[in-house]
Amino acid sequence: MIRRLACALALVVVWLLVLAWAAQVRWDSSLQPQQRRAIAARDFRVVLGAGTEDGDFLRVGAVGEDNSALQTVRAQLNANDLALLRYRFDGFPRTLELSFVFRTAESPDDVQAVTVPWPGDGWVSVDLRKVPGWRGEITEVGFAEYPTPQIAPESVAFRPFRFDGMQLWSSSWRGSFAALYTSWFGYTPWALLSVSALGPQREVAQPAPLLPFAMLGLISSLLAVALILRWRGAALFRAAAIAAIVLWVLLDLDWLSDLRAKHLLTESIYAGKSWPEREQLTPDQDIESAAAQVRAYFAARTVPQRVLVASDSKYVFLKMIYLLLPLNAAPLQAAQVPQVAAPDTFVLLFRDSVWRFDEARGTLVNAQEPQSGTQVERVFGTSFEGTRRFEPVLESGELHLYALRAGGGR
Amino acid sequence: MTLALLLAWTLPWAAGVAVFCALTAPRLPGWVAAALGHGLVLGLLLAALAVDLFARSDTAHALQHAGMPLALFAMVCAIAAARRLRHAPGVAREPWANVHKWKIALALIALASLVWRGWLAAREIMLRPTFPWDAWDAWAVKSKVWFLLGHYAPFVSMHDWADGPSAEIFTGPAWSYPSALSWMQVWLASVVGSWIEPIVNLPWLVLWCGMLLGHYGQWRALGVARMPALAFVYFLGSLPLLVVHVALAGYADLWLACVFGFAVLAWLRWREQHDYGQLLLAVLCAIALPWLKLEGAVWLLLFAGWAGYSSLPRRWRRYALGAFGVLALIGAAVGRLMLPLFGLGWVHVELTSITIPVIGTLAIGWHEGAFAGAATALFAQPNWHLLWWIAPALVVWRWRELLANRALLSLLVLLLAGFAFLAFLFLFTDAARWAESYTAINRLVMHLVPAALTLLALLYRELPAIHRDTAPASAPLRDSV
Repeated sequence: MIRRLACALALVVVWLLVLAWAAQVRWDSSLQPQQRRAIAARDFRVVLGAGTEDGDFLRVGAVGEDNSALQTVRAQLNANDLALLRYRFDGFPRTLELSFVFRTAESPDDVQAVTVPWPGDGWVSVDLRKVPGWRGEITEVGFAEYPTPQIAPESVAFRPFRFDGMQLWSSSWRGSFAALYTSWFGYTPWALLSVSALGPQREVAQPAPLLPFAMLGLISSLLAVALILRWRGAALFRAAAIAAIVLWVLLDLDWLSDLRAKHLLTESIYAGKSWPEREQLTPDQDIESAAAQVRAYFAARTVPQRVLVASDSKYVFLKMIYLLLPLNAAPLQAAQVPQVAAPDTFVLLFRDSVWRFDEARGTLVNAQEPQSGTQVERVFGTSFEGTRRFEPVLESGELHLYALRAGGGR
Repeated sequence: MTLALLLAWTLPWAAGVAVFCALTAPRLPGWVAAALGHGLVLGLLLAALAVDLFARSDTAHALQHAGMPLALFAMVCAIAAARRLRHAPGVAREPWANVHKWKIALALIALASLVWRGWLAAREIMLRPTFPWDAWDAWAVKSKVWFLLGHYAPFVSMHDWADGPSAEIFTGPAWSYPSALSWMQVWLASVVGSWIEPIVNLPWLVLWCGMLLGHYGQWRALGVARMPALAFVYFLGSLPLLVVHVALAGYADLWLACVFGFAVLAWLRWREQHDYGQLLLAVLCAIALPWLKLEGAVWLLLFAGWAGYSSLPRRWRRYALGAFGVLALIGAAVGRLMLPLFGLGWVHVELTSITIPVIGTLAIGWHEGAFAGAATALFAQPNWHLLWWIAPALVVWRWRELLANRALLSLLVLLLAGFAFLAFLFLFTDAARWAESYTAINRLVMHLVPAALTLLALLYRELPAIHRDTAPASAPLRDSV
């Protein structure tokens, strides 16, 4: 009986130590925070978007022109004393991402932003000790909200929400465990990297990963059982097997909860809409819109032989090419296109700063090339020069479509 | 359209089931699940093959052109399967009454959790336009072009595309990728008559179901008892990154993982039960690997090489090992070795670099950062739950059982060779950057995951009764090689 009690006590100590290590609790810190600084939401000033006071709270009802909202408040804080951030929102849409922004006395002209976990129900805690820049005197703090990158279409991302308030706490066991809970059981939205790895977070305050610490706790617990209860052989195997299965199931429940939360974002964007509507609701609506303009342009004429697409971003030109299919489109990359003498070729520039149109010569010039610059006619082979000219045929914002015309004039 | 859609799903499934039943000794435990699971996966691959062969010139009506040959093939296989089934003895049923009720309850909860995540993944597929980068940049490009053009058009390198200015030649970053998945998407797009991404991405959900059913059935046929087999199905189905590849459908890695897993299972059944139908199934699955993804050529080489070597008589193995050693010595002396990889071409291995056609040249050298990336991907990130913590520990702990069973030992060596290849790729070549950025390492590891679960399931089968509660459903037939 005494051995069993001792074993139970040892297990409690083992898990407490493991969790404290994972939470990076300072051993000399108090159980409860000694300092607490609460800032009511109504004290925040709306910098971007629109909001109204609602008692102690702040109702954010609109975003600014860039689809983001920002609320800040002047403050006088010592970052070293107050390193645990807590915040609470009500009805925060899943389609938005949240950033904590702050300004330091050391760099008054720089606003630093840190992506923080999506606020679900209740208070959410984040340990700021590992955030670069969170040091010295803090002069301003705030929150920024914007469509979740890579996943939320800007046109439907915003829905009104209520900001309830924020707190900053000094180091404590309670605060550290709360931050650990948020980092381990908070939800992370889908990202392009999700298909390759689930681990990496966008948050700067990189928390300790759950899995190694859970395994450390499990292995230490089995060691304690083996030493104190003197379990060996089959008994120890059974204990290890059951512990591993239980841990697997717990991890799986955590993953299922995360998967469900991820899926709720998808539901909130796409559910109840027809496929043609959903097809338009991509996270890259500007690319989709530009591609639609190009498709509409070509729908009214003979399908072009080829379309060469350029953009500063690889993602953008590849996505554009996919959206233009079955047009015969390919990336415009000088190094990869040594000879293209085809007539009826078009060049599509979208959010591109490399190529510029030289109207006088009727050609496209690589503006980033040192010295004289690479001309598209060189890329297209020497036979092109003097026989064909580019002509702008579609201009819309950052979209520029040029046609390669036979003959010397426009 | 509804009837056509129903036909587009059931015809390949029926063809796949017929092929499996025609190939394998029927009515071993789990044979229904194995047939249904393999049928789902093999059927979709058969549909892709039929579209490739019979509907190239009119992809918009792929169902009409490819459906009839597929149906005829399914009928021939079904007749052969019916003959085998007619003469097969009935399977000895494992009574549920012998199983504790709490175990049945746990199994039901585990199955319910699989159904729940399958439902979430299905909703993700059905609601969202194609999301992951390579899904639209690489895997769906050919299918979208072929379907919307109404006919096949070749994809060539950028250089060839530029040199041959024809509107009927296409290019793209993934021009050299295999076309199996593209033809499969054409099959489904042709049924609905337009490019609807949720429809063309649905095979990934079917693949996941087929993988779980197929593995359950084959594990049962290999002598794993019902409850442990269900538990391992839960372990396989609960792995987060596998579910991600279903929910965010469009990558080829899960296909490779499943088909490689099927090849391994069939190979093991041939080794343990001397079922030559299973050997043929293993060969077919292995040949399909490079048709799914370029990396499949490596797994084919490894699988065929090791399976061939381990089935040789002992004396021949010595000769083969000697020949391999001589080749390696010559390669080291000359400083160059050329390896033919089906689907990739000749791979040039030199002391300082490896040149792979299509992919390019990878410099050889130690990459310290990649080690941390690989360790994080396998042991810290929530991609694989506890799999990579438990699997090595179990293998080390139960080494005696592994040594006693030559089939299991062979599987272990095959998996170790696979992991050695991945370790070399990610730690000693320029591919290290894909481990450091986590962009590829988990997806390549995924290819070996179902086979690794098979090793663990069979290791459990080999455990002495003292370590477990239930006896296996049927005593495994020992490998006599």
